[in-house]
Amino acid sequence: MATLDPTSVKRRSPLKQRHITNHALFKEFGGNLLVGHYGNNESIQEEHSQAQILAICDLSTLPRLGFKGPGAPSWLETQKLKIPTLPNTAECQHAGSLVAKLSDQEVLILSDIFALSNDVATLSDKAEIDHHNYDKQTYILPRGDSHCWLAVTGTKASEMFSKICGVDLRTHKFARGEIAQTSIAKTNAVVIRNDLGGTPGFYILSDISGVEFLWDCLLDAMHEYGGYPIGFSALQRLIKSS
Amino acid sequence: MKLLTCPLNGKRNISEFTYGGEYHAMPDHRTSSARDWAEHVFFHDNAAGVVTEWWCHTASSFWFLAERNTITDDVIRTFKADEIYQQRVEFTAPETEV
Amino acid sequence: MNNRLPAPYGSLINRDIGVQFEFENKTVNGFEGDTIASALLANQQWLLSRSFKYHRPRGALTMAGQDANTMVQLPSNPNALADKQIIKEGMQVSGQNYTGSLENDRGALLGLFSRFLPVGFYYKAFFKPRGMWEKWAPLIRKKAGLGIIDQQLKSPYYDKQYKFYDVVVIGGGPAGMQAAIDAAVDNCEVLLVDENPSLGGSLNYARFDATGTRGKLLRMELVSAVQANNNITVMTNAVCNGWFADNWLPIICENRLYKVRATQTILCTGALEQPALFHNNDLPGVVMSSAAQRLVHLYGVKPGSAAVILTGNNDGYGTALDLLDAGVTIQAIVDLRSNPDYDEVAKAAIARGIRVKTGYAVYAAHRKKVVHITSVEVRDIISQGICGGDREIINCDLLCMSVGYPPAYQLACQAGGQLSYDDQSAMFTLNNCPETLQLAGSVNSLWHIDAVLAEARRTAAIATNALGFTQIAVGEVVPKGTISPNHPWPIFAHPKGKEFVDYDEDLTIADIVNATGDGYEHIQLVKRYSTCGMGPSQGRHSALAAARIVAAATHRTVADTGVTTARPPFSAEQLGHSAGRSFYPARRSSMHYRHLEAGAEMLQAGAWFRPAYYAQDNFTRQDCINAEVTNVRNNVGLVDVSTLGGLEVRGPDAGEFLNRLYTFGFVKQPVGRARYALLTNEAGVVIDDGVACRFGDNHYYVTATTGGVDRVYQNMLKWNAQWRLNVDIANVTSAYCGINIAGPNARLVLEKVCADIDLSPAGFPYMGVRSGTVAGIPTRLIRVGFVGELGYEIHAPQQYGEALWDALMEAGNNYTIKPFGIEAQRILRLEKGHIIIGQDTDAMSNPIEVRMSWAVSKKKPFFVGGRTLRELEKKPSLRSLVGFVVNNIESPIPQESHLILDGEYMTGRVTSCNYSPTLDKAIGLAYVSPTSAANGSAIVIRSSGGVLVDATVVDLPFYDSTTARQEL
Repeated sequence: MATLDPTSVKRRSPLKQRHITNHALFKEFGGNLLVGHYGNNESIQEEHSQAQILAICDLSTLPRLGFKGPGAPSWLETQKLKIPTLPNTAECQHAGSLVAKLSDQEVLILSDIFALSNDVATLSDKAEIDHHNYDKQTYILPRGDSHCWLAVTGTKASEMFSKICGVDLRTHKFARGEIAQTSIAKTNAVVIRNDLGGTPGFYILSDISGVEFLWDCLLDAMHEYGGYPIGFSALQRLIKSS
Repeated sequence: MKLLTCPLNGKRNISEFTYGGEYHAMPDHRTSSARDWAEHVFFHDNAAGVVTEWWCHTASSFWFLAERNTITDDVIRTFKADEIYQQRVEFTAPETEV
Repeated sequence: MNNRLPAPYGSLINRDIGVQFEFENKTVNGFEGDTIASALLANQQWLLSRSFKYHRPRGALTMAGQDANTMVQLPSNPNALADKQIIKEGMQVSGQNYTGSLENDRGALLGLFSRFLPVGFYYKAFFKPRGMWEKWAPLIRKKAGLGIIDQQLKSPYYDKQYKFYDVVVIGGGPAGMQAAIDAAVDNCEVLLVDENPSLGGSLNYARFDATGTRGKLLRMELVSAVQANNNITVMTNAVCNGWFADNWLPIICENRLYKVRATQTILCTGALEQPALFHNNDLPGVVMSSAAQRLVHLYGVKPGSAAVILTGNNDGYGTALDLLDAGVTIQAIVDLRSNPDYDEVAKAAIARGIRVKTGYAVYAAHRKKVVHITSVEVRDIISQGICGGDREIINCDLLCMSVGYPPAYQLACQAGGQLSYDDQSAMFTLNNCPETLQLAGSVNSLWHIDAVLAEARRTAAIATNALGFTQIAVGEVVPKGTISPNHPWPIFAHPKGKEFVDYDEDLTIADIVNATGDGYEHIQLVKRYSTCGMGPSQGRHSALAAARIVAAATHRTVADTGVTTARPPFSAEQLGHSAGRSFYPARRSSMHYRHLEAGAEMLQAGAWFRPAYYAQDNFTRQDCINAEVTNVRNNVGLVDVSTLGGLEVRGPDAGEFLNRLYTFGFVKQPVGRARYALLTNEAGVVIDDGVACRFGDNHYYVTATTGGVDRVYQNMLKWNAQWRLNVDIANVTSAYCGINIAGPNARLVLEKVCADIDLSPAGFPYMGVRSGTVAGIPTRLIRVGFVGELGYEIHAPQQYGEALWDALMEAGNNYTIKPFGIEAQRILRLEKGHIIIGQDTDAMSNPIEVRMSWAVSKKKPFFVGGRTLRELEKKPSLRSLVGFVVNNIESPIPQESHLILDGEYMTGRVTSCNYSPTLDKAIGLAYVSPTSAANGSAIVIRSSGGVLVDATVVDLPFYDSTTARQEL
């Protein structure tokens, strides 16, 4: 399978070096360069099976954006987004993107898993035009730059998290769409329960400068259960196959 | 480890929080005596009994207040800062040098 | 293996699998499931180790991992508990704390000098003359400590895990199992923890009825009910080592520390059998009654051939029956009670014809030629702790002590429970535990098995009711029985002493009495002075006896005397358990790997990795740094400033907000301009600095120091939680990477990759800010002069960092562009006289002292440090931060914190000092007395080794005082 040069694009994942060391094969998805799969894994099929048990995938180059300010939730509603009522809950949108409400005045929008929806790009442009003077008190947060985005999937994910996170993330205690703003391996993070197909899934958003450290901690914690990094193709297959 | 209830994030280990000192109202910066101002800046009540304290949930940078009994270490309640601070605070310049 | 008992004795061992290991270089055979101690005892090896102080021979005492007698050395693990550690094939075990051999320890001679080693010996002996301690310390240290650490050891993998349960039951005996079963109602998640290899507690070995069947049957019944219940998780071989606020329970199992949060906790920790005090009560072969029963039932080991039972309760009779059944001859039961109130078990023992002596005590144990007990001296008791002359020597090779069990109160007391004691009944009670913590079983002084089970069920109901799972009537507190198993005074002083109160520390009755005689009457002081209870077993067997002895010596009741605090950990834990995986977050900029490729020596500044300098072949560190400095001055350099803090302050009140926080004025700052921003706290102390860049009427981008930004951000949010200004504050530090490109060629380089911004001096002047693209990457540009040359800080979205770096390096190819590290940056800024917050300021520095009054606005209504600064201005300054030049280039270069001396008085200190390659001088910043602050003042610096260095105060900056270069 052909692989793209990870330096062929200017926007690069903070985990690029980790991926290269792990024999990653890079691929373009909706204009974003991600790991398609890892060369040392047998196949995408193998990664897909692993994803159902325990795996981690780097989504840091996918689009995402934050909005903050007293006017943010209501403005986003005018943009045809379903905004969750309660803080610390997330809701899937029609186009597949995910809207996470972090507080009464703060919302985070994550691209859909097929990177097909234009939600993030459209909102970014609209906000620039509508709110350049911030008169409606809606402020863009560059979450795509400030935070990495990782997905941890599989039935063993909760147990793995219990080694590095003090919040009870077991699936019967931490429902789909719930959000925990907490600490993972002493790193501040937003954890969002977002199952992929029928597989338990958790998104982690944390400071992008610390992601190599966090990645290593996660792999260390996953080792006990045989978990390892997988590419984006296997992750997408969780939804396709369900 | 103690638990503390953040008004935004719920009950969490206290290691997720940063202590922000005792709450007390700032004296008027124009009219208060040097003594009163020094009391405000440098001295802490350190009262035995129920005190109000600032706490910040570190991961979400959310500031709130807690009423805590310093004798028993029981937290009586936690609440958002807008319960106390409801209006925009204005300052005016000192008319003359104090 | 000549003293193994046949099955069903030995519930923990598997006779089908033999395990061979070595003890003191001799091969020992045991079975799978054996502990080191049980396997050795099966082979009649009683001597396990030597005691700490007098090197006395010691053997098994509790067989439950509760004492320090059984501490042995494993190759990579000192102080392993031989009665806890399961044997493995080929394991190498040796005794501890001996010189020569375990059997023949030369250190045991110390015992002969025991009267010269009184309590408080170290305090008294090595105190005078002054300086004596330094001479003694190495000798004493060599003697002190137990075991040998393997310094070559590669640390095994330890980690931690959080667990969450509705109910955690600690202790898997009858009370614990019953409580867990009752608590495990629908939806209620229960954890049952026990430190032993199998559930059952005393049901595994103790005798509850005459025939010895009830315990076994009850255990089977309860264990199967626990196992059948899906809501109960069982952890065996797991010790709960403390109780912390809100039912936070550290539970250690193998190499993992579980951090367990329980909503409700039920403590069923049981009770700890105590030794009796008599001469030579520490001889190998003198054991707890329960230890003998454990050996028989758990390990199938016949602990002796002829036993004497010393008892103060009916349980000793049960032990006698068990031993008799196992083929041990019972020489006598010595009962401390003169009128025993016999139960069914005791009566059965008497009916078997065992000889019983009531109202007698074991006064001394003796040994002849061996290190093991050979006989006991029994005497009549004439009053509390006093024996008469009615004397008998009874030969035996085993003495079992059954004189009482205080509750295992440690966890309950850590939770706030208060232990009280009744001097008459010798019974304990625990009161004032938190509402979310219940007690059941013998920890709650319930002894009869029916009472234990009833209280367990009651506490489970309290817990599930509180959780909202049930609404059950909980009933009355189960009354404590009338017969106490605790004898009030199993303590018999002997003229020759050696009645050990604390086996760990070799303390005898006289030592404790002497401590009170030395004036330490409070139990806590006795502990610290005598070290009683400070050894590895943490007073589990000495706290009660010590309290009794202190009470008698000070004419108080035991209740008044109290016991010492039992802090966590309950049992010794390994450092690996505390360390776990040690999470120290590290932050890297997106250009990290470019630095490594360019040969950077990285250093960690806070969590961030930063390039200190770029190493070049055949050049010293200092040469590399100097070359980097020179290249910036002469050509162009670039430095990664991604770690710099970045804060977006947006909204109609953005300017007002900055006005209130920082010392300068910002409301009238023009769009497109940057302004220096100095931050003080309410005490007027400088806590951070940066520049405020105005990108729009309502939009400021404020930089902050690498180490300070998180605190500044938190501070901003806290202030605005009070002021409620119409402003949004966002920490975008990691969202932007940054490169400072500086040097006379900087503009030329930038022009090659930046087409959409007018870079001319007029179009983009010093302290201007612009938005545009660099190499097609969206950026913010700030013309700042931290290093004192024409320079641009380029801030770009973090994930573009590597591409931005590459583009600038390529564009600078023809202009001798070279990266520089933070060492060069520190010199460059020092040459310009720029301070670094935290290095050139301390917790007292105010803007006046650091001569930054120019950055403090006098026209604003308010800012955070304003009022205090107004007060400070009224008073004379105590010190001034000045620049200095070392007079003689040959002098040693002073370092940070070297003192400024005025004669013999210290008047200040150096905060920064370096060799300046640009000026070929040693230059620095220092706090000096205001009287020495004028240009040309002579100062003296006390440098390393006391060398005095002459220097001269000069005006700042050292370099380019007209600022022509940075404004190029």
